[in-house]
Amino acid sequence: MEIGEKEVMQEFEVLSFIVGDQEMAFDVDYVEIVIDLAEITPVPKSKPMIKGIINLRGRIVPIIDLADVLGANVGDSQYESIVVIKYNDIEAGFMVGTVKGVLRASTNELESISSLERYGEKSRGLIKKGNRLVVYLDVTKIIDEIAGEG
Amino acid sequence: MMRDEYLSVFIDETKEAIQNMNDILLKLEKDMEDMESINELFRILHTLKGMAGTMEFNIMMTLCHRMENLLDEIRNGRMKLTEDIVDKLFKGADILEQMLGSIVEGGSDELEDVDVEGLVHELEEFLEGKSIGRIPKDEVEKGEGKSEVEEGIPIEITDDLIHVVNEAKNKGYNSYYIRVTLKEDTQLKSARMYLVFHKIEELGGELLRTFPPVEDIEDEKFDLDVDMIVVAKQSAEELSSAVGNVTDVARVVVRPFEPEEELEKKREEERRREEVSEEEGKRVRKEERKRKKITQTVRVDIEKLDTLMNLMGELVIARSRIVETLKKYSIKEVDESLAQLSRITLDLQNIVMKIRMVPIAYVFNRFPRMVRDLAKQMNKEVDFIIKGEETELDRTFVEEIGDPLLHLLRNSIDHGIESKEERIAKGKPPKGTIVLSARHEGNNVVIEVVDDGKGIDRDKIIKSAVERGLIDETKAMMLPDDKVFELIFLPGFSTKEEVTEVSGRGVGMDVVKNVVESLNGSVSIESQKDKGTRVTIRLPLTLAIIQALLVKVRDFVYAIPIAAIDSTLKITKEDIQVVQDQEVVMIRQEVVPIIKLWDALGIPHDEEATSMNVVIIKVGNRKYGIVVDTLIGQDDIVIKSLGKLFSDVKEFSGGAVLGDGSIALILDVANLMV
Repeated sequence: MEIGEKEVMQEFEVLSFIVGDQEMAFDVDYVEIVIDLAEITPVPKSKPMIKGIINLRGRIVPIIDLADVLGANVGDSQYESIVVIKYNDIEAGFMVGTVKGVLRASTNELESISSLERYGEKSRGLIKKGNRLVVYLDVTKIIDEIAGEG
Repeated sequence: MMRDEYLSVFIDETKEAIQNMNDILLKLEKDMEDMESINELFRILHTLKGMAGTMEFNIMMTLCHRMENLLDEIRNGRMKLTEDIVDKLFKGADILEQMLGSIVEGGSDELEDVDVEGLVHELEEFLEGKSIGRIPKDEVEKGEGKSEVEEGIPIEITDDLIHVVNEAKNKGYNSYYIRVTLKEDTQLKSARMYLVFHKIEELGGELLRTFPPVEDIEDEKFDLDVDMIVVAKQSAEELSSAVGNVTDVARVVVRPFEPEEELEKKREEERRREEVSEEEGKRVRKEERKRKKITQTVRVDIEKLDTLMNLMGELVIARSRIVETLKKYSIKEVDESLAQLSRITLDLQNIVMKIRMVPIAYVFNRFPRMVRDLAKQMNKEVDFIIKGEETELDRTFVEEIGDPLLHLLRNSIDHGIESKEERIAKGKPPKGTIVLSARHEGNNVVIEVVDDGKGIDRDKIIKSAVERGLIDETKAMMLPDDKVFELIFLPGFSTKEEVTEVSGRGVGMDVVKNVVESLNGSVSIESQKDKGTRVTIRLPLTLAIIQALLVKVRDFVYAIPIAAIDSTLKITKEDIQVVQDQEVVMIRQEVVPIIKLWDALGIPHDEEATSMNVVIIKVGNRKYGIVVDTLIGQDDIVIKSLGKLFSDVKEFSGGAVLGDGSIALILDVANLMV
């Protein structure tokens, strides 16, 4: 295959939301549902980033503090919603701030920036959309990391 | 592939066929003359052979074929059924079962460490040994095979053929019927057959007819046998040795061909078959009627049932939420429809539960056979009685409970039932009795194994437990009987000095207890010297729903399975003593260690009040108390897994959604206090 001046451009969709003061996003393919922050039942002795479980339509779903996973420090009061994802038979909810909505982006708007190094593999890069900068997170890596610990 | 599509059907039907075989063989063992059973067994094997052939499980097919032949001889009165033969048939059924297992696992009927050939050979020997007398004198055989041509030849005898044969006779030719059988693993079968034909023609013989037809032989559309009508000048011996010299020919049968005689034989056979099939037809019809009643069913993937169950749970919770919400407004018009909704949900819930239930016969069915084998092996006479096999329980249990029950039955035969002489000396009936029963009792299924054997020897158990360091001798002497019997459930316990082949295989009573408890059930023993032993297993009706005691620590609700609870009580701060850094309370002269649930779970908690609630838990033979803030009450809860993200949390076995939509974590009491 010939690679011309025009890079092969691929479009993708992400769901963006605010965590702390940063806009972040998950691939929509993994997102199952967004719900309002519900009452969380804590599970003693579980991993620190897991805040507990909720009852989602009769299913028990673990809730993860996304800021904790990313090493950021966000006050609990900032959380408004839970983004429930499903990957590899694992259903999990991430506590986030305001959910902005679905964003369509293309690969040429995606940059891997060294300033994101602190997220390591958990980020796929930075989506630049006008003056919006969105950290594009890799849900699969995040879940694998949590499931693998302990 | 078509084969895959039918494989599951094949597996199910074969399983059923083997089960039926075992049942019938048990019957035959009691009455060797029972023609109806012999016929039925023949029919089962015949069907099984056909199915195995279709699925290309050739080893299985061969085994079925040999067993079928043997039975054919018996049902036609040419042989008598003996204990030896029944044993061999039992063995055959076992091997078939192993083959099926191997098919389920690996898709092949080949068994590595089982001598199938040996059994096939043994079956053949029976046939040979018994069939000597009936082989016609002028039949010439090569090799060790036996004749299968007696039944009449498969070639259609037309007027045409008779005419040609007569013509040849007039010209001084002999007519022969020849059956050539190739060796089992012959390659290029049609080429070998061609050599056979060539040999015959070389001798100046002429092939009149073959079965299967020549075209099919060329296409290799035949098993190992080819039948043919040949005219030749040579004697039967000459033909036989000539054909027998062809490579890969296992067996040649040559006998003079008399068209009229053959026709007569065929007619005779026809009549016999009709008689049999009429008889069989009656029974088949009867059975079909019976079967129709049982098999008005649809196979459903268990996963779908689980999903249905989950949805059901959601519906129940959604309903309670509506009820909760509407309480605030008290709208009369809604009340009635809500009551109806409640009724329907309840009915639906019951039905969904029932769908998951199967009769315990699925487990019990295989035991008569096993008990027979074990009793025979141990030289004991046992009457085995099954009761209540129609009792239904959750499908999940059916798979789990088989091994523990087998172990209990083994124990009864090995340790319980005495030898015949011993029983007579004790004034008991010479034959021992073991009763396996199942019944519903409230929300439980109760399974019992009762024997009228020598009972459990208290002193022997204490001695053995002390020897193994499981208990202190002076303490043991004081224990009441039921506590002594409980010692049997401790890991590493066995009274048998010598390990027999039957018991003592490492699956001890502790395993029985573990399995039962993992199903949220309980097990207990009663025994009386020389009267017998009764082991009772109690299981909840379903695995998914258990009874639990809901307790509270601060605002958090936790569930403790009722099956694990011994009792609950209130204590005051002063009741707690400290022994070796462990807080304990005295309950009826027993020292019971206690643990505060908030400490065990690391929940920040204020100084405890003066009066506390304690839930006494029984884990194996150990007791301990869990201190909680409040006891809420008993409830049926639906267990849900917490999922992979909590695989490191050992304190909880799952979670349950309560009526108000909140979640209670279910305590895994065995892991709470180590």
